[in-house]
Amino acid sequence: MSVLGTRELIINIPGRPDGSALDLSIEPGQVWGVLGPNGAGKTTLIHTLAGLLPARAGQVMLNGTSLKELKRREIARQLGLVFQERQDSFPATVMETALIGRHPWLSPWEHEQGEDQARANQALAALDVAQLSERLLNTLSGGERQRVAIATLMTQNPEIWLLDEPTNHLDLHHQVKVMSLLRDQASAGKAVFLCVHDLNLAARWCSHVLLLYTSGDACWGPVENMLVPDALEKLYNQRLTTVEVDGSLLFVPTV
Amino acid sequence: MIRPLFSLGGLAVASVLLALSLGSVNVGAPDLWQVIQGQGSALNSTLILDLRLPRTLAAFATGGLLAVAGALMQVLLRNPLADPYVLGLSGGAAVGALLAMLAGLGTLLVSGSAFAGAMLATMLVFGIAHGTGSWTPSRLLLTGVVVAAGWGAVITLMLAITPSYKLPGMLYWLMGDVSYARTPWPAMAVLVLALLLTMPVARNLNVLARGPLQAAALGVSVRPLEWTIYLFASLLTATAVTTAGSIGFVGLIVPHMLRLVLGNDQRIILPASALAGGTLLVLADTLARTVIAPEQLPVGVITALLGVPMFLYLLHRSR
Amino acid sequence: MTLGSESGDNWNTSREINVSKRIYRTNIWPLLAVVVFACLALISREGSAELCAPDDLKANVCLDQPARKIVALSPGATELLYSAGAGDQVVAVVEYSDYPPAAQKLPSVGSNTRIDMEALLALDPDLVVTWVTGNPPAQVELLQDLGLTTFAIEPRTFEGVSSAIERLSTLAGTEPLGFAEAGRFRAGMTELSEQYRNAGPVSVFYQVWEQPLMTINNDHLIGKVIQLCGGVNVFGAMPNLVPRISAEAVLKADPGAILAGSVDGDSNDQLEHWKRYPGLDAVAGNNLFYVPSALISRPTPRLLEAARLVCEKLDIARDHD
Repeated sequence: MSVLGTRELIINIPGRPDGSALDLSIEPGQVWGVLGPNGAGKTTLIHTLAGLLPARAGQVMLNGTSLKELKRREIARQLGLVFQERQDSFPATVMETALIGRHPWLSPWEHEQGEDQARANQALAALDVAQLSERLLNTLSGGERQRVAIATLMTQNPEIWLLDEPTNHLDLHHQVKVMSLLRDQASAGKAVFLCVHDLNLAARWCSHVLLLYTSGDACWGPVENMLVPDALEKLYNQRLTTVEVDGSLLFVPTV
Repeated sequence: MIRPLFSLGGLAVASVLLALSLGSVNVGAPDLWQVIQGQGSALNSTLILDLRLPRTLAAFATGGLLAVAGALMQVLLRNPLADPYVLGLSGGAAVGALLAMLAGLGTLLVSGSAFAGAMLATMLVFGIAHGTGSWTPSRLLLTGVVVAAGWGAVITLMLAITPSYKLPGMLYWLMGDVSYARTPWPAMAVLVLALLLTMPVARNLNVLARGPLQAAALGVSVRPLEWTIYLFASLLTATAVTTAGSIGFVGLIVPHMLRLVLGNDQRIILPASALAGGTLLVLADTLARTVIAPEQLPVGVITALLGVPMFLYLLHRSR
Repeated sequence: MTLGSESGDNWNTSREINVSKRIYRTNIWPLLAVVVFACLALISREGSAELCAPDDLKANVCLDQPARKIVALSPGATELLYSAGAGDQVVAVVEYSDYPPAAQKLPSVGSNTRIDMEALLALDPDLVVTWVTGNPPAQVELLQDLGLTTFAIEPRTFEGVSSAIERLSTLAGTEPLGFAEAGRFRAGMTELSEQYRNAGPVSVFYQVWEQPLMTINNDHLIGKVIQLCGGVNVFGAMPNLVPRISAEAVLKADPGAILAGSVDGDSNDQLEHWKRYPGLDAVAGNNLFYVPSALISRPTPRLLEAARLVCEKLDIARDHD
C-alpha cells in the first residue's frame, strides 16, 4: 500500500507566479480527478508527481520518502503513468508494448516469463484489445492505442496510477469501461490520479477532485465538496447549467 | 525467440567457410580441411591462414561492429535512418589519421590517432549539443551533421596543403578497405565485448525506443543510459573505422532490415545485427576480391549492390 | 636516392669487372666505399654470394641468387624491368602495364591500389618490385610479413631512372643488358641537355588535366624535361608536385607555349579551350602542342624519346617567336 503525497509543492510553469502550494495525500482506494482549463498545468503536475519534471519548490513524497532520493527503478515499481502523447519511432506490436510494463520488475538478464505474459494478456483483455495483440501499434486507431497504453500500465501493476487524460480518443462505451476499471482498481487498493476534461466523468467516477486554475491557484477535496457550480464556472470561465438525472448531477455549458 | 539467432549464426559460419574456400587461387574443400587440420601445403596454408582468415575475420568484425553501432545510434536518436557516421565520427577519425601521417608517425600510431580523433569528434558533438540546456535527438543530429561537414572541410584543407609525397598514403587511408586491415583481433575483441556489455541493457533500450519520458516512467535512468550507448556506439564505430576505413551502408541497412523481419526487440536485434552485419561484409568482401579477379573491387560497392535490393525486397514485403 | 645514384655511377664505370670484386674498385672515394660496404657486409647475415642493391626507400635488398620470378606492382616497374633486360623473369604485372607489348600478355595481380594478394602469392615470386607511393602501405607490409622480398622504386630524376634500371639488373642478374640500357638513356639525356644548354628560354605551361586544371612543378619529371629543353615552367616554383590552378593564373603567366599529353586513339582537344583567348602568347604564336602521354608520364627510358619531342616542340615555339 503506497501513498503519494506532496509537501508545499509548487510546480514549475515558466513565467507563472507560484500560486497555491499543494499539500496532497493520494491514498489507496481514492480516485483523484484533476480539472482545469487548457494550460493550467495538469500535465506538468502529473509529470512532477512522477518525478519526471523538477518542482519549483516543495517535494513529492512516496511513502514518506522524497522522490529525489529514490532510484527510477524503485519509483517505477510503485508508480506508473499513462502519457497523453506517445512516441513510436519504431514499429512494435500490441503485445510487445504491453510487456514493456514488466520492465521495472525484471533483472537485466531476465526475459518475460509466463506470469508476465499472463498479466499482459489479462490487461489487454480487460481493455478489449486482446484480439489486436499481434497487430503493429501504428496500424491502430487512436482509441485502441489509448487502451493499449492503459493496458501497459495495468501490466506494470504499480500501486499508484497516474493517467493524463485516459479517456482521450475513447468512444462512450470505452470511456465508461476505462473509468469503471480505474475505480475497480482503486477499490482493490490502488491510488488513482488522473486529468480529465469531462466534468461529468469526474463527478461520476472520482472520489476526490483537484481544481487547477490558470493563475496557479488550486483547491482540492472530496468530490461532493468541490463540484459546485460557482467554483467550476470560475475555473473554466464558462457559465454552467446543472441538471439532475437519475439522482446524479450533470453539468452542461450554458450557451 | 532465439531461433533467428541460430539461423543467422549458421549463415555467419557458412559465409566464413565460403570466404575461406573462395579466392583467386582455387582451394578445394578437401584442401581446406587439410589446412584446418594443419596438414595443408605451404601455399594453401599461407593463402588460407595468413591471407583469407585474417581478412575474413576483419570483415566480419567490421561489419558486426558497424551494424551494432548503427542499431544503437538508431535507438539513441529514435531515428531509424541514423547510421554510425551520422554524427561525424568518421570525419574525426580521418582528421586524426591524417594528422598522424602529416607528423610522419607509423601505422600503429596512425590507427591510435584515428581512434582518438573519432572519440574526440564524439565528445565534441555531444558537448556542443548538450550546450547550456539538455539535448534532444534532433539537436544532437543537427549538431552532428554540421560538425561532420566541418570535418569534411578540414580533410580537404589538409589534403590541399600536404606535401605531395605524403598524399598517397592519406588517400589510401581515406578510401579504406578490408584488404588494408592488418589484424582482425582488436575489432573481434571489441565486438564480443560490445555484445556482452549491451545485452544486459538491451531491454532498457527497448523501453528507450518508446521515448525518454516513457522510459523514465518505467524505471530507466535515461541520461546515463543515453550517454553510455552514445559512447559505446562511438567506440564500436571508431574501432571499425580504424580497422577498415569508413564502409558505408552496413550500419544503416542491417539493423533496419532486421527490424523489418524480427521486430524491434533489441535483445534480438543487437546480436542479430552483429551476425548479419558480419555475414554481409564477409560475403561482400568475398565477392569484391573474386568477382573480377585479379582486379579487386572496393567492398563498399558490393555492400551497396547486395544491400539495396535486399532492403527494397524486405521493405516491399513488409507492407 | 643519393646513395642509389652514386653507386650507380660507380658501377657503370667498372661494369666489366666481376660483381663481388667490383664493389671495392670504385674510382671516387675508394676508402669511404670500402668502409661503407664492409659495414654492410657485417650487418647482412652472409655477405659473400649475395646480390644486393639499395631500393628507393634506402633499404638494402639482397638475394642469394638472381631473381627468377619477379612481380612488378606498377606499370613503370614493369617497363623498367624490361629495360633492365629482366623481361623474361617477370611473371606478373598490374593493370595498365601496356609497355613493352610483351608485358600485356603477362598475368595480372590486380591494380596497383588493390593487389590480389592470393594471385601474387600463388606465383611464389622471389622478388616483388613495389611502387613507393603507388601501392597501399598495408599491403606491402603484409607481403614483407609473409616473407617476400620487396624492392621499392620510384625514380624522381633522370639519373634515378638509370640507377633503377641498373639496380634491377643487378638483382635480376642481367647487368650487362641493364647497364647498357641505363648508359644509353643517360648518354641520350646528357646529349640533349648539352644541346639545349644555351637555347633561348621559352615560357611553358604544361596542362596535366583540363577539368580541373592541373599542371606540374619543377620537381616533377615532366618539369625536369621542360627545363632540359630550355623551357621555363611558369608554375615551376609551386610547392605542390601537381598543383591545381585557375585559368586566370595561366592567363596572367601568359606562357609562350602550352603542352599537354595526348593519348593514342583519343582526339586531341584538351587544349582547344585556350583558343578562346587569342591574346595569349601561346595561342597567338600557334604554340599549342601535344606530346604522347605514354612516353612522358612514366619514369622510364622512354622519357628520352619524350624529351626529344618536347625539345622539338619548344624549338618550333622559338621559331614562331
